[in-house]
Amino acid sequence: MEHDMQDFTAEVRRFLDAHVAKAPDRTAFTWGEGDDSMAYFSSLPPEEEREHVQRARDWQRIRHENGFGWITGPPEYGGRGLTPVHDLLYDAIESEYDVADTGTLSVIGLGMIGPTILAHAQPRIKDRWLPAMYRGDAIACQLFSEPGAGSDLASVATKAVRDGEDWVLNGQKVWTSVAQHSQIGLALTRTNPDAPKHRGITAFLVPMDAPGVEVRPLRQMTGGADFNEVFLTDVRVPEDHRLGEIDGGWTVALTTLMNERATVGSEGAGPVAAALSPDRLSALMRATWTWDDRALRARLAELLVDAMATEHLNTRALRTLRAGVTPGPERSVAKLMYGQNLTRAAHFVADCLGPRLVADTGKWGTYAWSELLLATPALRILGGTEEIMKNILAERVLGLPKEARA
Amino acid sequence: MSADDSELRELRSSVRQFLEARSPEEAVRKLMESEPRFDLDVWAQAADQLRLPSLVIPEEYGGDGFGPVELGVVLEEMGRALLCSPFFSTVVLAAQALLASGDKGACARHLPGIAAGRTTAALAVAEDGGSWDPALISARAVPDGDGGWRLNGRKSFVIDGTTADLVLVVARTVAGPSLFAVERTSAGVAAEAMETLDATRAMARLTFDTVPAALVGADGAGGRVMARVLDIATVGLAAEQAGGARRCLEMSADYARTRHQFGRPIGSFQAVKHKCADMLVQVELAEAASREAARSAAEGTPDFPVAAAVAHACCSRAYMFAAMENIQVHGGIGFTWEHPAHLYFRRAKSSQLLFGGPAVYHERLLDRLGI
Repeated sequence: MEHDMQDFTAEVRRFLDAHVAKAPDRTAFTWGEGDDSMAYFSSLPPEEEREHVQRARDWQRIRHENGFGWITGPPEYGGRGLTPVHDLLYDAIESEYDVADTGTLSVIGLGMIGPTILAHAQPRIKDRWLPAMYRGDAIACQLFSEPGAGSDLASVATKAVRDGEDWVLNGQKVWTSVAQHSQIGLALTRTNPDAPKHRGITAFLVPMDAPGVEVRPLRQMTGGADFNEVFLTDVRVPEDHRLGEIDGGWTVALTTLMNERATVGSEGAGPVAAALSPDRLSALMRATWTWDDRALRARLAELLVDAMATEHLNTRALRTLRAGVTPGPERSVAKLMYGQNLTRAAHFVADCLGPRLVADTGKWGTYAWSELLLATPALRILGGTEEIMKNILAERVLGLPKEARA
Repeated sequence: MSADDSELRELRSSVRQFLEARSPEEAVRKLMESEPRFDLDVWAQAADQLRLPSLVIPEEYGGDGFGPVELGVVLEEMGRALLCSPFFSTVVLAAQALLASGDKGACARHLPGIAAGRTTAALAVAEDGGSWDPALISARAVPDGDGGWRLNGRKSFVIDGTTADLVLVVARTVAGPSLFAVERTSAGVAAEAMETLDATRAMARLTFDTVPAALVGADGAGGRVMARVLDIATVGLAAEQAGGARRCLEMSADYARTRHQFGRPIGSFQAVKHKCADMLVQVELAEAASREAARSAAEGTPDFPVAAAVAHACCSRAYMFAAMENIQVHGGIGFTWEHPAHLYFRRAKSSQLLFGGPAVYHERLLDRLGI
């Protein structure tokens, strides 16, 4: 295992060295120099956004051509057939390089929906979409949430009715990331309103260019539009696009959600790391003359304790995984902490900056923090609200009894 | 020497079994009101059967030569069981001070006895202000003209100070804070038990009146030695705290599963469920912080002082939180003398303040980060 990992590491480095430059050292920074963006969500104009997505596709294609497009996937669909540990190792090494951000493709499509298609789709669908997704040609989105079904996902109401060889879908989805760039969407629909709510759901793969699919950007409080509303009006989906059993869609959803928990919470570089960087935060204290404010110093210390302990949790989970053991609750706890750590950081910074966060003076590294501040409420909701995460921890880890549920 | 995962599990389970048999709650309650505040037989068994005092003493001084990771496992278990014993004072504080001094002669003189469980020892640093800051030490040592020293001054909060055979004292010389070894039974040493918030950890005030003392390590090196001891001791304490916090969480979860109110288990109410989940989050963070710090110490990585400061702050807070919430989950019963919750509450608060408390450990972390 050790030996295999060494060979794999060397191979990854040969590939990356041949194609991209090393990333600039993110820990080294000088106050007032370089990019001061603290945006968690994108607020790029559509033109730039499309270029961004194209760069992501290009890099995914290069990864695929060199055998790193789908490290854990089966070879018949262009995968490498290696373990999740190889995948994590690849990610860790790649983070040292200056590569295009492939988040639009990888987090939801390749991380969550790809494995679901692999597990539940009919053979023709797997052949049609899996290689395309991992080659960067097809982007996938998750048509799960609805206005009436947030954390209680089993309450989906979008209807699917059998009509000859097709199914006809009607309803509205919401919070759909990357729908505006997607070629396919994985939809949960209600096929049996009389069954208990978990048992009347069916999953379909919906081609996003099918007539009746309408994507409307949903502007969020940061000002950007990362999410969309998706309206499905008499959308015809062929029977072979069904995933799993009729009325058995909850099992399909669980596959996706399990992979979601493995994907969300493994954030690292970029503005997120900068927001919790001791160097940057201490430089900010100097720049704002709050350096010797004892109350702020105590808060900074607490903030760093949480950020570093959360890092230790992630390190432990990774080590457990490397030893071939399924990690415990570390990832769920880390996800919960991650939203809180960034929230505390944003408010700590706000208290250092004072009025300078209220309006843009044009001064480097000041008003830019408003981007993070406005993103923080979402960080405590996305991928499951804090309340849901706490229920999961209490019930699945501590074995507390479930709440009375409808 | 270092143990692999299965050896660590075995170590944990044998220590836990031993403590369940020899340090159940009744035993802790009896000992916390007796003098000495530990059971000599249990201490002897811990040494003879489990070789606990010798675990992390280097082999050249008669120990088994294991490291901080193994020590952490033992301390987590001791923290769970609230064991009354001179382990923390002798092995975590005094022995580590001897090792940190780099004085091979002093180590050879004292460590074999400690490893064998024959010698108990204490480390006397803080005075009436409770501070571990070397700049605030006023006890003094002067040369006696025969190559020895004479010690004068007063130390407080000395853990196991009335029972330790050997006392290591930080006192000021012309060269600065320095470490000295004193026999507790020497003429001129007066030891008086202090009333303590956490009765499971005995503390004493020691007065030294021209007591013969042996310099340990270099004259004036006390500040450096103390910094190292604080790193090791706070990581040790963090493990103890993580163990205690885990125990509080288990008590709460067990109770929330079985106690019924309004016709259902209280753990099915979201308010109680979330209290327990919040405790779990703190406990997971505490274990990660303390175990990673121990690992960093074992591997000698350069970020160890930072990891130690993180573990100290994180585990202090987590234990205090878990101990407080544990009483809330139990309701009125948790506030009674008969329920063990207050024993953990007392240990948690006492441990949090042992080396100075939040204001001090926050600044120590920032200092280590160059902030």
